[in-house]
Amino acid sequence: MLFKKEWTESVRSYKILWIPVVFILLGITQPVTSYYFADIIGQFGGLPEGAVMDIPIPTGAEVITATLGQFGQIGFLVLVLAYMGIVAKEKNHGTQILVLVKPVSYTNYLTAKWAHLLCISLGSYAMGYIAAVYYTFLLIEKMVIADLIYGGIIYGIWIAFVMTVILCLSALLNSTAFVAFAGLGLTVVLSLLSSLTPDLMTLSPAMLTSHSQNLYQTGQVGSGFGLNLAFTLVLIIGILIGTIYLFHKKEIAQHTT
Amino acid sequence: MELIETRSLSKRFGQHIAVDGVNLSIKEGVCTALLGPNGAGKTTTLNLLTGLITPSTGTIEFDQSYQGDRRQYIGYLPQYPKFYEWMTGEEFVIFAGELAGLTSKQAKQRTKEMLDLVGLNDNSKKKIAGYSGGMKQRLGIAQALVHEPKLVILDEPVSALDPLGRKEVLEMMKRLKEHTSILFSTHVLHDAEQVSDDIFIMKDGKVVIEGSLTHLQNTYQKPTFFIEAEDKLEGWVETIKGQDWIDQYSLDGKNLTLTVDNVEEARKRILKDPMFQELEIYKFEVAKTSLEDLFMKVTES
Repeated sequence: MLFKKEWTESVRSYKILWIPVVFILLGITQPVTSYYFADIIGQFGGLPEGAVMDIPIPTGAEVITATLGQFGQIGFLVLVLAYMGIVAKEKNHGTQILVLVKPVSYTNYLTAKWAHLLCISLGSYAMGYIAAVYYTFLLIEKMVIADLIYGGIIYGIWIAFVMTVILCLSALLNSTAFVAFAGLGLTVVLSLLSSLTPDLMTLSPAMLTSHSQNLYQTGQVGSGFGLNLAFTLVLIIGILIGTIYLFHKKEIAQHTT
Repeated sequence: MELIETRSLSKRFGQHIAVDGVNLSIKEGVCTALLGPNGAGKTTTLNLLTGLITPSTGTIEFDQSYQGDRRQYIGYLPQYPKFYEWMTGEEFVIFAGELAGLTSKQAKQRTKEMLDLVGLNDNSKKKIAGYSGGMKQRLGIAQALVHEPKLVILDEPVSALDPLGRKEVLEMMKRLKEHTSILFSTHVLHDAEQVSDDIFIMKDGKVVIEGSLTHLQNTYQKPTFFIEAEDKLEGWVETIKGQDWIDQYSLDGKNLTLTVDNVEEARKRILKDPMFQELEIYKFEVAKTSLEDLFMKVTES
């Protein structure tokens, strides 16, 4: 029921429409621009006379990796901005008082939102990913389908982790702007640390992105993948439980006078 | 058996003690008013009862015969109810009913009855964003009642309404009294006098006066004479003041208010007083002090 309400809310605010559209567009853009890169350069005045430059068409693995990079930046930005208020806004408006005064468990309240968040983000991501793969196949080259599926799922878990963090921040902080800032900040820091010092960050959820990249390029995940995956899943569950616990402890009704 | 009973209930926000050792007992089938000036701790007390905030010390006990989460027996209307504005009125009440554990069929049925009761049926398909303040208040009452709670808690249900809306809501509360127990807070004594049976007056987080309305009226209301004359009353008052049948008096030029213990005796004395007969009287009225005076007295001091 709470889950249904989240859906209705997303439908009425058209989030259910534009978030997938953004992801699909992102998914199409990368392979298409890679393919037509030389033509685009030509259209915009071309290279100077005499400059000989061979612009290679990238491999499929590179294109998919770049697409995931887009998801990781613009995609996250969109998701975070759309859902930073998922709990915080209800808290600030006081709408959740009417919900929580009914015999509704805090666990249900938050997990309904969590499930909805995952459905939307992973659904949109899946659509965008399929679009990217389709155009890559069409324009660039065919790749191993099993690798693409596994890689996609691995990256999806990273998205699930980020969404869980957003829910947690939204439940515990009051300012939506701060939720967005902290959420995106954390994502960026984790990604940067993971790519700069991969040795130190073998357990970091952001390492999942590099594992999925390895999969596309070599057909193999990097070392330490199993542990990394397990740790991320534990972290997701842990954050969720922690959020419910802390949210329960917080006072719902604010001091009025 | 009391429906809900609190023992030395306290709530502290940092340094500020919002509710301080409150003992409330709300009887089943009775309309109880929690009366007090702004900032007396009424809303905090109600929030404690609903479980939205947890007490710093003290206990809240709900009737033993109703087992489990007490929220399922309570309907609550906050002072400023906030709805999901993108829902229609009907959807919201159904949603509230389903949250409270009704099946979707029951919820639909009850929603229809409730919207009928509060007179929102014509607007049930409209988005809440387009509702007026009074309509939102009535919608709030509908959603509080949808799961047939044993106790309805209304926080300042009429304060934000215009006189007409006030009257409507008070009438509705009178009808509700037949079906369920009501606990409501208000800072307007008149509202409390109109609908409630029991009254608790709060001040600075404490309950200062409690009792049934009739008990309070019998104890604190005194017969009063309002006398208004053409000329100054000072001279006459000088002659009678200090006599033992007068409880209190206040003189304001040509207006005199006398509170007494015994109406008959006082009336006889005044009317037979030759000096009084000399006066050119405009108005001579026998009435009772309202509880307003009591309210002012306890809340000001």
